[in-house]
Amino acid sequence: MNEDMNTIENNLPQIEANETVEAHEEKNVQLSMDPSIQEEEEAKLAQKENDVKLKAILEGLLFLVGDDGLTVEQASKSMDISTKKAEQLFDALQKDYVDDSRGFEIERYGSRYRFLSKAFVHEAAKKLFSIDKISKLSNAALETLAIIAYKQPITRVEIEEIRGVGADVMIRKLEARGLIKEEGRSDAPGRPFLYSVTDEFMDAFKLLSLDELPDLPEFNKDNNDDLFHS
Amino acid sequence: MNEFKVTIDTFDGPLDLMLHLIKEKQLDLMNLDMNVLTDQYIAYLNQMENLHLEIASEYLSELATLIEYKSKKMLPGKHEDLDDSYEEDPKDRLVKRLLEYQQFKEASEDLNALYESRQLQLSRPLSDEVDQWMKEDESLPYEGNPYDLMRAMKRVMMRMRLSVPQESTYTVKEVSMEDRELKVRAMLDKLPKTFRFENLLEDVHDMPMFIATFLSVLDLARQHTLAFTVDENDVIWFTRGGNAE
Repeated sequence: MNEDMNTIENNLPQIEANETVEAHEEKNVQLSMDPSIQEEEEAKLAQKENDVKLKAILEGLLFLVGDDGLTVEQASKSMDISTKKAEQLFDALQKDYVDDSRGFEIERYGSRYRFLSKAFVHEAAKKLFSIDKISKLSNAALETLAIIAYKQPITRVEIEEIRGVGADVMIRKLEARGLIKEEGRSDAPGRPFLYSVTDEFMDAFKLLSLDELPDLPEFNKDNNDDLFHS
Repeated sequence: MNEFKVTIDTFDGPLDLMLHLIKEKQLDLMNLDMNVLTDQYIAYLNQMENLHLEIASEYLSELATLIEYKSKKMLPGKHEDLDDSYEEDPKDRLVKRLLEYQQFKEASEDLNALYESRQLQLSRPLSDEVDQWMKEDESLPYEGNPYDLMRAMKRVMMRMRLSVPQESTYTVKEVSMEDRELKVRAMLDKLPKTFRFENLLEDVHDMPMFIATFLSVLDLARQHTLAFTVDENDVIWFTRGGNAE
């Protein structure tokens, strides 16, 4: 692995060298266009090869990290590339797996990319591992999560006001599952904890960011009928 | 004497029940007939009581609000009281709450669809071999709360379930925590100063043994023989010597 990294580093200056040669020649030469075009082609080719290699390393890293997932920052740090480059590589790699001829894909939920088996694999996986049930969240849990996700940061009392029931136990359960976290305290009397959702919440609900949440349905007199008589 | 008692969770609280009643009786939420709602609400609670179902206190507190409203309305000549008060009309307030609750109820259905589709996709755990490369951190800060530990334990259990081949025969074995603790103490001598919880699980193949091991390390931590911490990757680290004062 270290060896690979070295060859990549070596490749980088090489490309730059190619480019300068090319620029130099362009100034110098009216003779024929062919050499400069050829240089350009070569530089492009080298860049491409380099990218392919980097993408393969990224793929390898993703394979190793498994469900821990990999952030853009981690990839850029460990591969000595810019975050922008890392993002491009993630994008390119992601596209390689989109096709249905592949049984798994790369998904980014929250801040992390990870390999996930595709949904159509689940049927067979269920038989292989004798999975008999899928984990479910209760209505109460889902409602509490929805309130936190849309209103965060929010205190326990505010959640209770909306749901009309105590939220103490539910908050502790969701916290233990890692779906929500305490994030500072409110200025309200007693300085109660404020809660917000975690990266794991993003993963569990296939979200990249909270902006992706569907808009809350607006309620007014006009659409009241649809709501209650549909 | 011994009455059969169950608690049911059909409705997620009084607001959920009210929304159900409103829908069932086709009441107009924007022009809510509080009398009908209150009567239906009381009828439902009575029914629950007849079935010996336990009624959660939240239902009763909302009932009190409904009845207060109704009784105020029934008192002759007292109507201006409601209008003059600086407080929001209780009916408007209730409608507002119902609307807001309905909003989140719908949003939670969207979330559920996302959750269920995510459940169809599975990932694999971090490569085992990576453990061997990991740097050992000698200075373990003691922080985190019991929930961090719970979450980390869940993860260890999941990994164990994935890594151990499925056994199809069952044998009843008594595992005593004391025996296990002795074994764990013996294992400590062979382990580096700082190690992971998984290091203690090499000879563990079933749940009772696993739990005994976990209880032993908790006991060892209590005796300050070991100290533990949970890092950001939910890995449980132990260090020998602990944080004995």
